[in-house]
Amino acid sequence: MTPARRKFITRRGFLVKTGWVAAGLTVTAGLSYPFVRAAMPVMPTLNEPALEDGFAWVQVVPGGTVRFYCPRMEMGQGAPLGLSQVVAEELNVGQQQIECVLPDTDETPPFKMTVGSESISSFFDPVSFGAAHLREALRAVASEKTGLPPGRIKDARGGFLGRDGTRIAYGELVPAGAQVLSLEEVSAPDKTVPRYAVRRKGGYRAIGHGWKHHELEAIVTGRTVYSRDVLVPDMAYGHAVRPPAFGARLQSADTRAAEAMPGVMAVVMDKDIGFLGIVADNPFVLPAAIEALKVNWEVPQGLDQDEIDARLDVDRLRANDDFEHTISEEGDIAAARRSARHRSAARYDTPFASHAIMEPRASVVSVKRNKVEVWCASQDPFFVQRNVAKAIGREIGDVTVRSHRMGGGFGGRVPCQASVEAARLSAAVGRPVRIQWDRAAELQNTYLHPAYSHHIDAGVTREGLISHWEHDFVSSPIVTGQVPSAIAWMLDMTMADFGTKRGGVSPYTMASRRIRFSDIRTALAIGPWRALGAAPNAFAIESMMDELAHKAGIDPLEFRLRNLPGPGHRLAGVLRRVGEISAWGGPAPTGRGRGIACAVYKGETAVAVVAEVRIDHGTEEIQVTKTWCVQDCGLVINPDQVKALIMGNIVWGCGMALKERISIEAGGVEQRNFDTYEILRHRESPDMTIALIDSDAPPVGVGESALAPVAPAIANALFAASGKRIRKLPISYDRVFPEGRS
Amino acid sequence: MKIAINGKSLSVPKNLRNALLLDFIRDFAGLRGTKFGCGAGLCGACTVHIDGTAVRSCQTALGEVEGREVTTIEGLAATASPGALHPVQKAWVEVAVPQCGYCQAGQIMSAAALLSRNPNPSSAQVREQMSGNLCRCGTYPRIREAIARAAKEMQDDTR
Repeated sequence: MTPARRKFITRRGFLVKTGWVAAGLTVTAGLSYPFVRAAMPVMPTLNEPALEDGFAWVQVVPGGTVRFYCPRMEMGQGAPLGLSQVVAEELNVGQQQIECVLPDTDETPPFKMTVGSESISSFFDPVSFGAAHLREALRAVASEKTGLPPGRIKDARGGFLGRDGTRIAYGELVPAGAQVLSLEEVSAPDKTVPRYAVRRKGGYRAIGHGWKHHELEAIVTGRTVYSRDVLVPDMAYGHAVRPPAFGARLQSADTRAAEAMPGVMAVVMDKDIGFLGIVADNPFVLPAAIEALKVNWEVPQGLDQDEIDARLDVDRLRANDDFEHTISEEGDIAAARRSARHRSAARYDTPFASHAIMEPRASVVSVKRNKVEVWCASQDPFFVQRNVAKAIGREIGDVTVRSHRMGGGFGGRVPCQASVEAARLSAAVGRPVRIQWDRAAELQNTYLHPAYSHHIDAGVTREGLISHWEHDFVSSPIVTGQVPSAIAWMLDMTMADFGTKRGGVSPYTMASRRIRFSDIRTALAIGPWRALGAAPNAFAIESMMDELAHKAGIDPLEFRLRNLPGPGHRLAGVLRRVGEISAWGGPAPTGRGRGIACAVYKGETAVAVVAEVRIDHGTEEIQVTKTWCVQDCGLVINPDQVKALIMGNIVWGCGMALKERISIEAGGVEQRNFDTYEILRHRESPDMTIALIDSDAPPVGVGESALAPVAPAIANALFAASGKRIRKLPISYDRVFPEGRS
Repeated sequence: MKIAINGKSLSVPKNLRNALLLDFIRDFAGLRGTKFGCGAGLCGACTVHIDGTAVRSCQTALGEVEGREVTTIEGLAATASPGALHPVQKAWVEVAVPQCGYCQAGQIMSAAALLSRNPNPSSAQVREQMSGNLCRCGTYPRIREAIARAAKEMQDDTR
């Protein structure tokens, strides 16, 4: 994306005269939207999309290209690609005729942050609705132009067919001199507008096809501009000194040596807000100047891993019978316990984790008298806009955020702290300032995925049915993890964090159950990480399901099917299918074991995973050799992309199972780089077989849906291979065989 | 002191002689396709070729490359037979490897170097020799597929 922007012209008078407005079409003027100053504190953009919002996202430009201002940010999940296919389906165009744009904040009204695998499930309808209206409005224009009633204007590729089959291209419907045609102020959106993306006689032409992302060639040739690659004329180079520990306070700094260095323009310190930054006129002097800063921090004492573990210890809460929230309670547990033929009770633990996005965050900000421009990559550009405005005391409408493709997001990129830092420094020196985080900052100064500890006591009847399920767990608030403490206490009194408990109630039928949890705030910064609570909660639940199946002597796949509400359940479908494609039940190769697990993401997307592991006693390694995954996510917009996301979730899940762990030392994150925070490497990544269930049900989330079953499938496979039950992540050879080779 | 990047000779200003190759490529030569990922040689995002061999530019001092030929992702296609894309880049597009795409320049540079020294690597060799390049999106299976496809095409071309 170039800093040069499109200009729009007002041609409303012309349009009114020629009847274009009557047809529901208008030329957009300026694209400025009234901004209401956000109430304090600055919160992420939470408004759910309405159907009519789709009108602001689709336009036709001269030449007939359909411009799609995608209301979802791109972080590799490909939502802009999938939604482009929805637009294409409605407007009968091919990929070449769509210009998909990640909008700047002044090009569309604010839209919800890109989180929670909602880009297709929540935006499919408004995008389809808007594009369908644009098509019908264009048809009305074609009708006026030809004198034919709209009903006799037939669809054609990139336009319509008029009298005697004459083709009318969309480009011919854009008036001379107009730069863009868009839907605006349609007084009565027509709920009955034909929606080709919902159902299409004769089959879909764009949906369901493996379109490739339009940026692929730019990516593989190094031409894609990530936020780290932004160049702005007259740019200076900044750095912000970040706290070494959670809650550390900036006390003082000796900045004289740094300030005296040639090339250093300014050192900016504001102790009240804990900000210390430095700006240089070229990037090469920055490292030495940073080194020369002598900074004193006051670090809160006593915060280490043991203290955190003690606070998030499920046994401590159980001893006091002290859980804040009961999320499910049914049946007579005491009676059901007596009916159990087999019982199992166990504790499960998962650690803190980091997003470890490959692109450490960065931003360029230009603070000028009349406007503020921010180049960044965030899951919520409107949140960045409000944060920057607040930090430098400007009106929200003064700030324009220009969005770039993210080098990874995974929930960790809702805020862009680098933008706020760069804004402070740009305001101080009067030039655009670039800030680039390093790897240590990415690990140490971003919010974390919280650790969980679980305790489950459950049983199975003589018939192989779950008799009772008493599940207690503790972790920290996730969705509200970043809410300022001034209002957090109030939230905590009234709500259970829905991110922390996500996936905590399984779809299995049980004679009785009680599920309780506590979401406890600690001094650590906590926030969303891929799938939120779904992955740690599934690890506990699906591990226990395996333990119960084993105790009852029932095949783990059969045991799950037997305890689902019925054979028509979505989960039953993916379980049976993953059994087929993995030849489940057959003998595993010598020295290997297979495990199965499944989960339903947000009550919608059903996923089952089979993992095969090999234990190598020679190298003392545990290797996931193969995985099979089946997912039912309703209508599949782009099967290639959905499979790519499933692969990504399997790789992520393997890392979660075998490698990733953040630990706390001296009040801060101990890990500084990929040598100590290890993510899965190529040699460790398994072969994958992936299948999607054919379905025309409404599309549901796919971005993080396949993650939850991966780690428990691996742990269950390890049990099958070794007879050792591992209940604490990450799994390592040493943990399985503390005495060495058995 | 002179360094050739993608066939173009650049004079290194005196004050930059101690700079790292990665910083020089990005902030002096203005080639932004080569990425910073870790600054410690652990992730491979900054991989470039020096005389055809893959190296970590974040761990390479400029002095080490004096008088040698540096190739970045922007110059890779020109090292192969004429065309807009190197066979590895072409395979990457055909298989749709990238998700976020940030690590892919480094992946491609490592893969191209791998295929130039071993035109027909086994799956195990690919896994092992691509393990210095991290991908958080988890594109490893498609990287393997793309390397196999590029290897086949390069062999067909030389036949």
